[in-house]
Amino acid sequence: MQAEADLGDLLGQVAQGDRAALRAIYVRQSTRLFGIAMAIMRDRTAAADVLQDSFLKIWQRAGQFDPSRGEGQVWISSIVRHAALDAARARGREIPTDDPGLGDTMLEPEALDRLQASEESTRLHECLQKLPQANREGIVMAFVHGLSHPEIAARLDQPLGTVKSWIRRGLLSLRECLS
Amino acid sequence: MSMLPTDPAELTALAGEYVLGTLDARQSRMVEAALPGNPDLAAMVAAWEDRLAPLSLLAPPEAPPPGLWDQIEAHISPAQAARPARPRFLRLWQGWAVGASLAAAALAGVAFLPGAAAPRMMTVLVTSGTQTAWTAEVDRRGGIQLAALGAPTGGPLDTAPPDGRVLQLWALPPGAKAPTSLGLVPRGAGAVHITTPAVKPVAGMLIEISLEPPGGAPGALPTGPVLFIGRLTEAGPPT
Repeated sequence: MQAEADLGDLLGQVAQGDRAALRAIYVRQSTRLFGIAMAIMRDRTAAADVLQDSFLKIWQRAGQFDPSRGEGQVWISSIVRHAALDAARARGREIPTDDPGLGDTMLEPEALDRLQASEESTRLHECLQKLPQANREGIVMAFVHGLSHPEIAARLDQPLGTVKSWIRRGLLSLRECLS
Repeated sequence: MSMLPTDPAELTALAGEYVLGTLDARQSRMVEAALPGNPDLAAMVAAWEDRLAPLSLLAPPEAPPPGLWDQIEAHISPAQAARPARPRFLRLWQGWAVGASLAAAALAGVAFLPGAAAPRMMTVLVTSGTQTAWTAEVDRRGGIQLAALGAPTGGPLDTAPPDGRVLQLWALPPGAKAPTSLGLVPRGAGAVHITTPAVKPVAGMLIEISLEPPGGAPGALPTGPVLFIGRLTEAGPPT
């Protein structure tokens, strides 16, 4: 996990005001992070705004990153996801839920197989597979594409209240399974 | 009034939904606002981030637009990229092939046009060949506005650094032994506004722009040649 150690070190340098360290993070992570923002925003201009906003947050908040409490990559990814979610909420999450490119490829079983890339993600994969399919799909659509409860309900063609409780139960099952 | 659930199981579920992203804007802001003062909630959120992090592998990687880094860098240097240079202001200056002192005197007049914010101090930064290149004005709040000038011929004056190098702005107050960095000049920026300069602008202070490696001078002092320089003077009568 050499790359992880480096990212934590780089965040430490960013916290000291080192712009070159922030650039190094950008060089290494921007393709992955832009992918995360794109999956939620589905618009390159909006995703670029999100990524810029995220790097400004990383610049301002790097001092809050605590390497003893988590991995740099997770910390950075969550900043980008939340920035994208905020932007999606601000525009009313107007992503058309019938967009044929949205989600479908993600929800095929072989897409989830990508989670078997590492030990940690393999465990999550196994736990996801134990969930009923609709719970699993709802969780993946929410996390990867930033879909809201009503959007997921529309896509799964289920009542809103049902979807809310599925997702909540799904999350708690995952927590149980991973512990 | 806090709307956070007191039941730990409920709080855990809420933290999970926050990380998953399914909370609406109001609930999400509520969780975010509670995080700094609620270590339990913060630990729950961090644990959910860890648990669900592998899902981000499912977002296909995609290269961001070229030039995005330059925009980010322009925002993180103390010199923040501001509005583009005011065209009317610049037009007045095109065609002037004058020395810095004459330029400064004239600019003081320009600055008192109706509607223009009156600078308290200003200077014109010149090249070693005394060609005017940038104006620097100090506003009422002590911020510095740097603006690129057109070339005396009316064409664009090339103030851009060579590829792989950056321009860094410095201030040297009277009596100081070493300049202080005011930040990088974003590549291609026509104007830069520094709201809170690292040193308080005073009359007689030298403003310099040096050529530096990417990211700026590695230490506290300029390492490259000074390309542009000017000395702040009082701009005109107090307002």
